[in-house]
Amino acid sequence: MTSTAQDLHPAPVLEPGRTILELRGLEKRYPGTHALKPVNLAFKSGEIHAIVGENGAGKSTLIKLLTGVMPRTSGEVIWEGQPAALATPHEAMALGINAVHQEVVLCRHLTVAANMFLGEENSRFGILQQRAMVKEAQKIIDDLGFDLPAHVTLGDLTIGQQQLIAAARATVRGTKFLIFDEPTAYLTRKEADQLFTLIRRLKGEGVTIIYISHRMEEVFELADRVSVLRDGTLVGTRNIAETNDAELVKMMINRSIEQIYHKEHFTPGAAILESRNLSGKGFENVSMTVRAGEIVGLYGLIGAGRSEFVTTLYGRHRKSAGQILWEGKPVQINSEHDAIKLGMALAPESRRDQGLCLNLSVGLNLNLPIYKRISNNLLISNAQERTQADRQIADLRIKTPTRSALASSLSGGNQQKIVIGKWLAHGARLFIFDEPTVGVDVGTKAEIYRLFSVLLSKGAGIILISSYLPEVYELADTLHVFRRGKLVATHGFRTADHEEILTQALAEKQEKLGEQI
Amino acid sequence: MSTEAIPAEKPKRNYNALFGLTLLALLVLLWVILSLSTSSFASANNISNLLRQGSMIAILAVGQTFVIITGGIDLSVGAVVGFATVIAAMLINAGIPVFLAILMTLLVGVAIGLFHGFGIVKMGLPPFIITLATLTSLRGIGLLMTNGNSISINNDAFQEFSRNSFLGVPNLFWMVILVGIPAYIFLHHSRWGRYLFSVGSNAEASRLSGVNVQRTIYMAYTLSGLCAAFVGVLLASRIGIGNPTQAEGWELQAIASSVIGGTSLFGAVGSVHGPLLGAFILATINNGANLLNVNAFWQRIITGALIIIIVYFDGLRRRGSK
Repeated sequence: MTSTAQDLHPAPVLEPGRTILELRGLEKRYPGTHALKPVNLAFKSGEIHAIVGENGAGKSTLIKLLTGVMPRTSGEVIWEGQPAALATPHEAMALGINAVHQEVVLCRHLTVAANMFLGEENSRFGILQQRAMVKEAQKIIDDLGFDLPAHVTLGDLTIGQQQLIAAARATVRGTKFLIFDEPTAYLTRKEADQLFTLIRRLKGEGVTIIYISHRMEEVFELADRVSVLRDGTLVGTRNIAETNDAELVKMMINRSIEQIYHKEHFTPGAAILESRNLSGKGFENVSMTVRAGEIVGLYGLIGAGRSEFVTTLYGRHRKSAGQILWEGKPVQINSEHDAIKLGMALAPESRRDQGLCLNLSVGLNLNLPIYKRISNNLLISNAQERTQADRQIADLRIKTPTRSALASSLSGGNQQKIVIGKWLAHGARLFIFDEPTVGVDVGTKAEIYRLFSVLLSKGAGIILISSYLPEVYELADTLHVFRRGKLVATHGFRTADHEEILTQALAEKQEKLGEQI
Repeated sequence: MSTEAIPAEKPKRNYNALFGLTLLALLVLLWVILSLSTSSFASANNISNLLRQGSMIAILAVGQTFVIITGGIDLSVGAVVGFATVIAAMLINAGIPVFLAILMTLLVGVAIGLFHGFGIVKMGLPPFIITLATLTSLRGIGLLMTNGNSISINNDAFQEFSRNSFLGVPNLFWMVILVGIPAYIFLHHSRWGRYLFSVGSNAEASRLSGVNVQRTIYMAYTLSGLCAAFVGVLLASRIGIGNPTQAEGWELQAIASSVIGGTSLFGAVGSVHGPLLGAFILATINNGANLLNVNAFWQRIITGALIIIIVYFDGLRRRGSK
């Protein structure tokens, strides 16, 4: 098959405002759960329709039904006036329904161009026309305004860039209906901007966009309409101009926004950790103190040195200068093992890769750091193993059928609780949270914030790293701003406004201000 | 606890034990069928023979399972067995007391295992590669040491051990119990066992939880090497010679037993009883096929088919119970 860039784009602009896809009583039941209660909803061509809701609200079920990954239990789907079965992914794609997923599902070892044309390769007499494909792919990428080369291996790009390629790929297949599932979870602001440009451009061509996100600010920036799902029910659909943050959150969780950032103030106790003029790879001359009962927020852009600073505290990298004091005494932390022994705990950014043994039981995960303590030289005490795990499950209200359920079967928020629980069991005093709420829904966020209070009340100190300003702003007792490896400013609880903090984090890039929040 | 409904799905309770029972049922079923269809299967002589045949692979499979649980593989075990027969034969013929000779042979197995650990942890080699390399080179070293000849062991007591029985059960099978019980306690009731699983599931998460991942990997390969050297001693006793080309292909039988016993080659899933049952199921099939006069070539095909069927159904159940 030979194809050119022209016929890859949806050539005739679809008539905007016409109903392209209508759901009539669409429903999905699993054994034991009613994942999606009958939904009636019509999507118009050329609209950006955001869908918001907590994890488990039915968003992914809806996507799976629309993309033909799963069959529906009952109801009808009307595509361009005709009933559609949507029984297979192939059928959905043939109609023009495509999806870009949160995790990139492409071949990392192939080139960008090869990925763009995967399954629809350009070949002559069975020989791949590699050069032509690279050229075509480059044209498409350039057209979209992405500054990316088409001939490099996909795996050499950042996750964000790969996500852009995945989006670009979805646009070249006669797509009329494109679903984005949390596309910006791993993107930098610049990459997200490029993606938004692409989305708006597709809208201009009459493509219907379904945009699923936990980030309210993106919903308001992009969408024309927004639908809210809660517990498998469509709670309502609003025109974006006629709604606001507070209303949507209320619809999503049946709870007001003030209740999310639940902040309890404790009187700070003695210093747990002190960093004096600490320097290392990616940061220099950082001094700060974390006391018992307080949250120290580290804010800054990705790459500003926050993560490097804490991983050095945690012993993964060597410090090049300065001093670390633990409970007032100078300490040498040469390995993570040393840090753990002192009583530090790191809840890493990537739960799946670094935080949990997913295909093992909840109980084993919770006990992993303390097996030494609950076993004698030879044997594990089964009774202690049980009671320790059950205590954390009850204390942290981890939603799991039993302690022997696999960690992978739990929701994201509950997995996060396991990560916290195992350190509580270990008796850690200093908790480092690196982006704890990325990809987590509002309800779970609220729960995680509540956990912070529990930790503080037990006399622990918390270092909270976040790229999401409202989070550190509403929670941190002390807020340090990082820029280019330096600690550039320090604020108390709500003593500075968003704009001031952003200016300090960005410095020269004033024009980006409004978008960053 | 909160009032929110707990997900309706039932957790799989004691999956390992359940799967073990299924395997045991399969083994018993095979025995019943063979007892009914052949006159000689149920004889005391044949059963002892069967237990002897299965024992050595069973012990290898236990060591192999430790390695596979960490997400690795040990291809060298067959070669280690052959090499260990040579070491044991040479030491015994040199007049070293049997007890000491056995101990030194076991230490050689430990050393080989440590070398594997070193290659994986310090040199960053994939387990498949480092153990494949020792597989070929150990056979080579053994051939150099023996000049390609077999060494007859001139110690009757040593050889009698494997032929004798205790309480009517062959000594070789007692050795399975001798290895199996500590292995079971180690894997399922000690923290080291838990670490094997956690490293196989997610090495990075384990490291961040304070687990010494490197030591865990060293331990797995050392135990596998130790089991293999022990089997080498048993084999030397059984055939009365030291020969580096012995136990050809045993590594594959050990892996097959382990996998039939429910060990996942992706790591983090496995038990001790599973591979033991797997080894005796394989031994029963071979034994039964002999008695039924099934072509020896067919035995290999049946073994292959069985691996596919058992692992397929195991996978179905796992997916089903998710």
